[in-house]
Amino acid sequence: MRGPDVIWYLAVAAFLFATGTLGVLLRRSPLIVLLSLEIMLNGANLALIAFSRLHGESSGQIFALAVMAVAASEVVVGLGLIVAVARKRLDLDVDKLSVLRG
Amino acid sequence: MIVAAWICLVAPLAAALLITLLGTGISRRAAAYVSTTSVLGSFAAAAVVFAKLWGESPDARSHPSTVWEWLTAGSFHVGLRILVDPLSVFMMLIVSGVGFLIVAYSIGYMDGDKEERRYFAYMALFVFSMLLLVQAGNFVILLAGWGLVGLSSYLLIGFWHDRPAAVAAAKKAFIMNAIGDATMALAFFLLIQHRNTLNFPPALHVGPGHGWLVNLVALGLLGGAVAKSAQIPLQTWLPDAMEGPTPVSALIHAATMVTAGVYLIVRCHSIFEQAPRVEELAAGLGAGTLLVAGLIALVQTDIKRVIAYSTMSQIGYMFLGAGLGAYANAMFHLMTHAFFKALLFLAAGVVIHALAGEQDIRKLAGVGRLLPVTRIAFLIGSLALVGMPPFAGFFSKDSIIAAELARGWYGYVLFAAALGGTFLTGLYTWRLFLIVFTGEPSPFVREHLMGRSHAYGQEGAHEADASGAHEHDVHEHRGEGPFWLMGPVLVLAVLSVVGGWIQFAPLWDPLSTWLEGIAPPLATPSGTQEAVASVLAVALGLGGIGIAYLMYGSRKLAVPRIAWAQSLLEHKFYFDEAYDLAFYRPAVALARALGRWIEGPIIGGSIKELAAGFREAGLGTGRLQTGLVRTYALAIAASLAVLTIVFVAVR
Amino acid sequence: MANVLVWAVWVVAAFSCLASGIAVVSFSNPFYSALALIGNLASLAVLYLLLSAEFVAAGQVLVYAGAVMVMFLFVTAYLGGRADAPWAGGPSWQQFGAVVAAGAILVEVIVVIGLKAGGRLSHEAKIDAGFGSPHRIGRVFLTDHLLAFEITSVVLLVAAIGAVILGSHAHSQAALADELSHRREADARP
Repeated sequence: MRGPDVIWYLAVAAFLFATGTLGVLLRRSPLIVLLSLEIMLNGANLALIAFSRLHGESSGQIFALAVMAVAASEVVVGLGLIVAVARKRLDLDVDKLSVLRG
Repeated sequence: MIVAAWICLVAPLAAALLITLLGTGISRRAAAYVSTTSVLGSFAAAAVVFAKLWGESPDARSHPSTVWEWLTAGSFHVGLRILVDPLSVFMMLIVSGVGFLIVAYSIGYMDGDKEERRYFAYMALFVFSMLLLVQAGNFVILLAGWGLVGLSSYLLIGFWHDRPAAVAAAKKAFIMNAIGDATMALAFFLLIQHRNTLNFPPALHVGPGHGWLVNLVALGLLGGAVAKSAQIPLQTWLPDAMEGPTPVSALIHAATMVTAGVYLIVRCHSIFEQAPRVEELAAGLGAGTLLVAGLIALVQTDIKRVIAYSTMSQIGYMFLGAGLGAYANAMFHLMTHAFFKALLFLAAGVVIHALAGEQDIRKLAGVGRLLPVTRIAFLIGSLALVGMPPFAGFFSKDSIIAAELARGWYGYVLFAAALGGTFLTGLYTWRLFLIVFTGEPSPFVREHLMGRSHAYGQEGAHEADASGAHEHDVHEHRGEGPFWLMGPVLVLAVLSVVGGWIQFAPLWDPLSTWLEGIAPPLATPSGTQEAVASVLAVALGLGGIGIAYLMYGSRKLAVPRIAWAQSLLEHKFYFDEAYDLAFYRPAVALARALGRWIEGPIIGGSIKELAAGFREAGLGTGRLQTGLVRTYALAIAASLAVLTIVFVAVR
Repeated sequence: MANVLVWAVWVVAAFSCLASGIAVVSFSNPFYSALALIGNLASLAVLYLLLSAEFVAAGQVLVYAGAVMVMFLFVTAYLGGRADAPWAGGPSWQQFGAVVAAGAILVEVIVVIGLKAGGRLSHEAKIDAGFGSPHRIGRVFLTDHLLAFEITSVVLLVAAIGAVILGSHAHSQAALADELSHRREADARP
């Protein structure tokens, strides 16, 4: 089965990664930031799977599964933090959560 | 014998260390006994060495002993070395003997002082230092002893350290001595370069034909001698040094330390003989000092200061003798002077002790009637000082005066100066004696000694007089003073009488023979010269005594009051003012200018600027910590972009 | 014929992937963003299938879209979405810097890696039928990459514990803290 070359998949992955980066850097709500992080991770996953297909190695897919597990854990903890912040009646604004400024 | 010499040296040091380490663990009296016993042991050891040395033939009487090699630089060796020979044994006996008497006297004098232990430790340290100096077998150890006596002097002058006058006097003494130390060190450097050794006797023999070198070395040594012996121009520290306790003045500033300069000249006589101009300079300085000091002593009102100027004057005589090459005579006068000067100081100390620390002779007037034994002792000392036969001073001083006749026209000048000095000595000594020890008691004396009991010999216990007196309580005791005070005084009185009988040139001169091997005299006066000198000296001395009696005793003659002379003498010939203007003011001005223009802005400012710069940098870098997650994320993303290019480019 | 089909599927999937990605980042309402992410995940699963990674595609849908996104939606519903201006705020150089950085990364990945790799990216390896199957994945997990497997499980455990602690109620957390300090005092007393 022919289809696009791996390079096309890489292009999509790169684009997803860049989009996610923009979201992380430019949005103020921590929820959206987490979502953008997910986008970035998925971009990386896509690249991993594409290379796995290129080389015929299953390692890439293993790596992608691990990334998925870690992403899930990270989302769990991140959402827990956001809920704790909201319960303290603080603004859910990344710019305002800057106690650690030097 | 060598062992005995080392014991003599080390015993006082051991005592000082012991007292220091035991601290308050021993009683004050015990510390005093330790110190005194060590000095006595030192004297015994010195006597043993003397006996052994006496038994040897005159040619073989030089015994060096090195215990430890300190420094080896190529062929140059310096070690802990002592030299036992007639000259050093002579000095050892004087130092430890008179030292023992004075330290014993201190037991009574310093009794009750809160810091008595420290005093006795310092006294033991001083005796050790002086012995180190006279026993030194090379110039380095001599310099070590030299410095240590300076240190002990500083510690003891400033013993009552809560009195600012004492502290200032101690500093002054130390600093002026440091000038001498510096010139001596320079002389030693030249010697090392020339002779490649500092040991006695090789270093002392600089061959002929090295004119400028020998002159420089001699000048350096003379500088040290002048500083230590308080001769002009470095004499201003000695009167101030009277701030220390009276036994200190007796031991250090009369009998021993100030004579170290004379010892140095005699020890290094070979060097000085190669530099005749410097020798003549030494003699001239001695003559000048003896006249100046004699003049100043005429107007002093502090009993100790009169005696101090007298010391300065007598050392002038010794310098005169040593400068003329009459080494044995100078050493002889050193010995007799130790006896009678210590006697005078200790007797004065009895008076001061009895009158609660008062030292002004106008207040002390007439105390002689109440302290008869002291009066006799002071009389003996004064007669010895003026040089009346048969007391000690007569034999020694006149031999020096006679030696001057043997040296050409310069000698005649010095002869005249020395005779003038004799007249002045008679005058100021008798002035002191008459004012203090004869006549009606002054109101002060009456109040203190005759107050409650109205009988002399029984002083009531008084509180220390606050008016200008020192920290010193009057003690209740029977007789004029306790045993420890009067005993040494009596011994020294006897010595002042018989001490001179050891030599009566030219009839019998065992002392000159003893020292001949080490320091042969340059010129020996003939019998006629001796006779002429003696007669003139005694006559002038009597003249001085007579005039003093007329002025202060029977009051037939008024004391002349010439205004300009009076102020000149009272200001001690304005030496202190001159030094202040020439050295102190410029130094202080320079220090202030440096502090203001260099220390402040440049050194301090640079450090402050450095610190401020770092703070600024820190603050600026701190602004990167915005606390915003987004900024940090941007930093990560940017770094990622840059690093990717780097990685790809590197491949 | 099959080639055209593959290309068509690829175009649709890729396009929806990119569009939903942009949508996630752009919507002001977080609920819409979460929904857009679900779409993103689904299109990614299609792309994985095209790349013969069947197990991963299934896992993506089940775990990611099924569990993680449900969690997201729950929390978004709990917190209430704020529909305020999405792109505002931050230091002035933030937006410019962000665009530059993201653009640089995009360009670098495609251009640089593609250029460097050159022809090697065209030669796909020959794969057999069981390439992305659960069988294959399971075996590799338990043989070559056992360590990754174990560590991943530990990470998940830690995350679960962290979530419990973070999520426990305020007053019970305070009570827990009080009890701990009481016990410490009791131990310190002799």
